[in-house]
Amino acid sequence: MSTRESERNSSAQQTLDILYEISQLLNTQLDKATLATCVGMVENGVNPEALAAVVQELRREGSALGVQSTSNAATTR
Amino acid sequence: MSKNLPNLELLVYALVPLSRINVGIKAELIDHCQDILRSHLGHSPETNLTQLTDLVKRRLLQLSPNGSSASKFTNLASRLLDQPVLSRKQEAILFLFTLSTFDTHQQPAIQMPAVVQPRQPANSRIQPIPVAAAVSNKETAHSNADILKIYRAKKGIFYLDESLLIRDTLYLMQGISGKYVRLEGSKEGDRKTVEFPNDNNVIPLPTQALIRSLAELGHLYSRVESYVRERESASRVGMIEQSLCHYLQAQLTEYYRLIAILETQMSANDKDETLSGDEPLGGRETGLSLRRLDVWVNEWRLRMRMMSICVEGARDTHGGALVNLIHSYTDNGDPFVRGFTDELLEEVSRPFFTTLHKWLFSGELYDPFKEFFVSADSSLGHVNYVHPSSLPGGIGSIPNDAVFGSFNDAEERLGLRNGQKLWEAKYQFRREMLPAFVGESFGKKIFSTGKSLNFIRYSCLDSEWVVTREKMSNTGGTLQYNDIGGLERSIDSAYQVASSRLFEVFIDKFKLLDHLSALKNFLLLGHGDFADQLMETLGPSLSKAANSLFRHNLTASLETAIRSSNIQQDPTEILRRLDARMLEYSHGEIGWDVFTLEYKVDPPIDTVLDQEATEKYLKLFKHLWHMKRIEKALDKGWMKVTGARIIIRLPEMEFEFHKIRMALSEMIHFTRQLEAFCRIEVIEVAWKELTDFLHKKEGDLDALIGAHQHYLDRMSDMIFLKSSKPGKEEVHLRQLSDILTLILQFREATDNFYNHCLSESARRDQELDAERGVYTGPPQDDDAKHRDALVGIQERLNEYGSGVSERVQNLVAQLQVHTNFDCRFLATRLSFSDYYRLKKETQTKA
Repeated sequence: MSTRESERNSSAQQTLDILYEISQLLNTQLDKATLATCVGMVENGVNPEALAAVVQELRREGSALGVQSTSNAATTR
Repeated sequence: MSKNLPNLELLVYALVPLSRINVGIKAELIDHCQDILRSHLGHSPETNLTQLTDLVKRRLLQLSPNGSSASKFTNLASRLLDQPVLSRKQEAILFLFTLSTFDTHQQPAIQMPAVVQPRQPANSRIQPIPVAAAVSNKETAHSNADILKIYRAKKGIFYLDESLLIRDTLYLMQGISGKYVRLEGSKEGDRKTVEFPNDNNVIPLPTQALIRSLAELGHLYSRVESYVRERESASRVGMIEQSLCHYLQAQLTEYYRLIAILETQMSANDKDETLSGDEPLGGRETGLSLRRLDVWVNEWRLRMRMMSICVEGARDTHGGALVNLIHSYTDNGDPFVRGFTDELLEEVSRPFFTTLHKWLFSGELYDPFKEFFVSADSSLGHVNYVHPSSLPGGIGSIPNDAVFGSFNDAEERLGLRNGQKLWEAKYQFRREMLPAFVGESFGKKIFSTGKSLNFIRYSCLDSEWVVTREKMSNTGGTLQYNDIGGLERSIDSAYQVASSRLFEVFIDKFKLLDHLSALKNFLLLGHGDFADQLMETLGPSLSKAANSLFRHNLTASLETAIRSSNIQQDPTEILRRLDARMLEYSHGEIGWDVFTLEYKVDPPIDTVLDQEATEKYLKLFKHLWHMKRIEKALDKGWMKVTGARIIIRLPEMEFEFHKIRMALSEMIHFTRQLEAFCRIEVIEVAWKELTDFLHKKEGDLDALIGAHQHYLDRMSDMIFLKSSKPGKEEVHLRQLSDILTLILQFREATDNFYNHCLSESARRDQELDAERGVYTGPPQDDDAKHRDALVGIQERLNEYGSGVSERVQNLVAQLQVHTNFDCRFLATRLSFSDYYRLKKETQTKA
């Protein structure tokens, strides 16, 4: 039973590796953890294109906030 | 959606690290993300896997053009599909792909967070390189062009704008010098060179080449145009050339139209440019460029070349030969050239066909410029240029008639030869003028048809028929180049109609057959009773010296012979043509040598019975007449010799008389067989052939003349026993006339012998009377003198008799190996019971 579980895990790991490689080829700039999260969401039935839009949006927000925070930090400093 | 919430939280934490500390931001972001996820953004469930992988590959190629990543992706995708874990692999790939496409749109936006991303260095290796390369390329190109521009500006050299050159090129295409490009022509020839004046304006070499090739059109144009103009001003230009000029003119008008269109294009181009300001590239898209011009006028270049070739050809050829020249291009493999030539030929051959039509259906030669393949010898009279439709070309008729009136008189004086000469020499066939599409045999047919019609019209004075025919034919459509089949058909039918009509005219109207049979009956002694009668009435006077004969006596005798024979039933039309005549005689000739019968014919029959034929008839008559004379003489001799038994009682002469009778009968056999041969085997057979031909009514007048000549030749060949050996044609004839002369001499000798015997017999009677005491006359001279005379006569008789026999034997032997089968048959006839062969055998044995 446990061997089957481990097998399943390893194959999941393999799949994730492959997807990661594709993502790198496509230059999506996702790290492995985020990718795993996203793939999990897609598996759960999320519309992939909408998800992509979300990731995009979050990145934009994140960067905007990051800049803000750094500038804030700068001003506070 | 709720089960996605922890995942979404994770995502937000991962991408926006600030949210981990700031709960407000986190909630806001999650709300926002859920809004997006619910929005069905870019929902496209239709995409299948292959389509998707294609899209991805294309994207990958875009990112790194060397293709290695694309193949890598293919590999990865197939491996992914083997994995059992994921149920929505396609969507996963789609997610990645979509994300990737977002990246490029907002490159700088991604670039920034990429700094935060730990994996960034690996990615940047692929991406920035092409972009950077492209940017650097662009910059250097600009800078090089700029450098060149600056350099030129410094040097004061300006590249000409193409639109200016186009204007000039359009001028060049009309043979006019432009502003920047000039046509420099030397004065004498039409040789022109394209010059590019070397000032500050530089035209690049490729453009120069292009302009030169376009200028060829201008050169050809000016050549064609000058030709057309030259012909227009020339006074006597052939009709075919005129129509060529017409066609060329039409083509040139088309060309002008093309130029005009190009010019409007060009001005539109200019306008575009002014509207769009300094954006020349945009204007070129729709307007005119030199290259475009080159392509557009390509067809015209070919066309111009063809026209130029025709013009060149037209300078030294003429009429039909010109048509021929053009026709030779219809065999070209290029369908364009062929089409063009066909079109041109259609136009150019029109006057030819008009002439042809006239010639074929009315027998009129309307060819004022000597272009047709039939030429008329205008000195032969009846040449009529008057054209019923009175085209302007017919002016030549009036001076012609006036000038050649005197010639006509001279011709009339020549008399006899007129008909034949008219037929043979009035029109000539000029092969070099015959268009190739008609063909030699059809050309001959056309020639013959027109000649026949012309002959019917002018020589047979049957113009009404020709005119009706012409009217009928006019309804049957016109002759055209593109309808060669129809042309051939109409030629054939016209030929048939004309030739059968000609035969009809000759046979029905001019009674050619009657004349021919009269010739056969009189000159070839077909009417035996007439010949006998003539011989009888003329015989005594013909034995006299030629200078004692008078024509009126001869004609009187002829009249008697006609009256007393069966031929008085013949129509007077025939009889009045028969005439007796003496040939020119020299000293010592007797009537037999100079007498001849003559049969006179009027035009147009004299076309067939020409001088030559008449001479042949006379020759034949002479020969046959001679044979007839021998026959008659032998008949008389035979009568005398056989009758002598009753009157002459000289027992010692019985044997001599027997020998004479033997010789005579041999000679009679010879002459009879000879005559029968001439009559049955030669004359009648040839006559049958001739009449068969005449009844068939095929062929034209030439064929008729030919048939008649063949008839005559055949007869004279056989009657004169012509040998086929070259140089020895007359050998048998000479033998024959030797024989005939010997026979005559023999006949004379028999007469002498007979007279001698008669006087001898009379002397003996006188002696007997004296013994009885009855005085019947003075006593005759002594025997010795008589005996001497007798010996002389007997010698001559023997000599002549054996001479004839020997020669006949010779002749028979030679005739037996004669090449002509009928002549061999004559030998068989002469030596029917192998008499001469047996005789020869006995001679050789002895």
